[in-house]
Order: sequence, then C-alpha cells, then structure tokens
Amino acid sequence: MHTQSTPIRVLTVDDSASMRALLLGALSSRGFAVEQCEDGQEALEWLASNEVDVIITDINMPRLDGFGLIEKLRTSALHAERPILVLTTESSDEKKQRARNAGATGWIVKPFDADKLTAALRRVIH
Amino acid sequence: MSDMTPFRQPGPAAEVVRVTIVQGEAKASADPRVEMSTILGSCVATCLFDPISRVGGMNHFLLAEPPAHMRNQAFDSDYGLFLMELLINEMLGMGAIKSRLRARLYGGANLNPDLSPIGTANAAFARQFLIRESIPCVFEDLEGTQARRIQFRPASGQVRARLVPSDVAPTEKPLGRPQSAFGTVELF
Repeated sequence: MHTQSTPIRVLTVDDSASMRALLLGALSSRGFAVEQCEDGQEALEWLASNEVDVIITDINMPRLDGFGLIEKLRTSALHAERPILVLTTESSDEKKQRARNAGATGWIVKPFDADKLTAALRRVIH
Repeated sequence: MSDMTPFRQPGPAAEVVRVTIVQGEAKASADPRVEMSTILGSCVATCLFDPISRVGGMNHFLLAEPPAHMRNQAFDSDYGLFLMELLINEMLGMGAIKSRLRARLYGGANLNPDLSPIGTANAAFARQFLIRESIPCVFEDLEGTQARRIQFRPASGQVRARLVPSDVAPTEKPLGRPQSAFGTVELF
C-alpha cells in the first residue's frame, strides 16, 4: 500500500536529457519518487542493487534499447513481475507487438499527458 | 563547416525530389535526390545531419506561448520536444547515431513588432534543446524580423537559407499538442 509517507518509486529510462527533465518535473510534482537512468544498460546495472515499484522506458537508446532492457529484466527473478511501461514516439503496431512479446506491461505514446501517465502508473502497481 | 557545407549547384531538375516540411512535421531521408524545403516566419526549423551515415532530417515548429495574463501556464515546450524526438528517432531508424548529429537552426523571426517576441522564445527553446542533448549547433540563422526560405539536402547536409518577403510565409498559428492522438495509454 502506498501512502504519502511511502511514495511510489519510479525509474525512468531515457537517453534524452530533455525528456528526463520533463518526466522528473511531471512525476515529482505529483508525489512520485523518481530515479533516472540514461539507457538500458545503466538501468540494468542500477536495478541489480536497487528496487523500484515501476519502470518507464524509452525504446530508442544507445548501448541497450528498451526492448533489450525488458527482455533482460524478465529473465531475472527480481524483476520478472515488475511493471514496465514503454513511453515512446514510436507508433508502429510492429514495435508495440515486439514490446508486448518482450514482456512490457503497457505502451504509452509521446507526447505524454502527465495525468494519464500518472493514472497508468497507479493502475499497474496494484 | 566541413560536415554541413553550403548549398552547391543543384543537379538536373528531374533528379530532385522536393519535399515540403510544414509546421508540425518532422521528416528524415538518406536519399541524395531529396531536397526538403520550408518557409519560416516565427517558426523554427531544425536541420540535423549525421556526416558518417549521411542521413539528415528537418522539423518545423512553432510553440504556443501563454497570454501575458496567464502567468502560471507554461510555454508549451512538450510538443517541441516531441517533434525533436520524432526527428531524431526517424534518423536513428535510418542508421544515424545521436552522438554524431550536427544541427543548424533557422527561423524564429519576430515579424510583428507589436506582438510578443514568440520567434525569440522558439529560438531559445531550440538552442536549449541542443545544449541539453549535447548536439553541436554548427550554424544558426535565427530571430531578426524577416521570413526565411530554407532548402535542405538531407543526404549531404547542405542548406540554403534566403530571406523572403514576410507575406510569403504561411500564416502561423502556434501548435498545442494534439489532444486525441497522443498520450494514449494501452495496458497489455
């Protein structure tokens, strides 16, 4: 159960500094505890020793992209059930299907609506 | 600039594939026949080019600025960010690499001295985006009081910019984010 004293912990994974800043502002101001990584590889390393309630990841990133990140997390016992939302400008059904097959929990198309994103975060952690 | 050179003499007209980039669009190409063009008043166009993969692209945006009495409403940079990301992602899909990208910025004129300097605000957004994303801006032709016509060859990075009479520029209305098509949440 998440109360004001235990905010929902969100990890956002995006290589764009501008997008990270936008997400940090939108989620912190709505009471989420936000951690940020710059690509899938950094996220994987951070998640090896840290816990979050939900992950939001971009698709196009250097080193390890969003698909690769989801696939790797789904093979780890710690994160096999972790909700992972994809947040992307990609609109193709093929990419969406690929994310679904990799084990993503949901798919959100940018530019995001902060209230819709917040509602989705709250829904997937229950 | 060796990686984004001035415009050379165009090839035979029959070989040129002309693509117009209108406000709210972002397009990329690696086709040497393609010449993108746009006319800018207060709008800003970003031309990005990867000199190794020889992929280039252009976007064209005008961000909404809140009226003076609505001090709490933010300048809607979210949509500009989206158009920048759309452009970059399209280029990445064609083999470009973000760390190799070079940018040129055009437009952002303040055509009407009686209105708020929205061109300046759009130019500032574009400059700040490039700094944040560590994309070098190798050239800018921004602000001023005149409209511009931009021609860009995405496969070579060549750009030609000319000042044009302001009545040639299309009527520009700031873009807010489209409410219906974006931000859609689909849970699997």
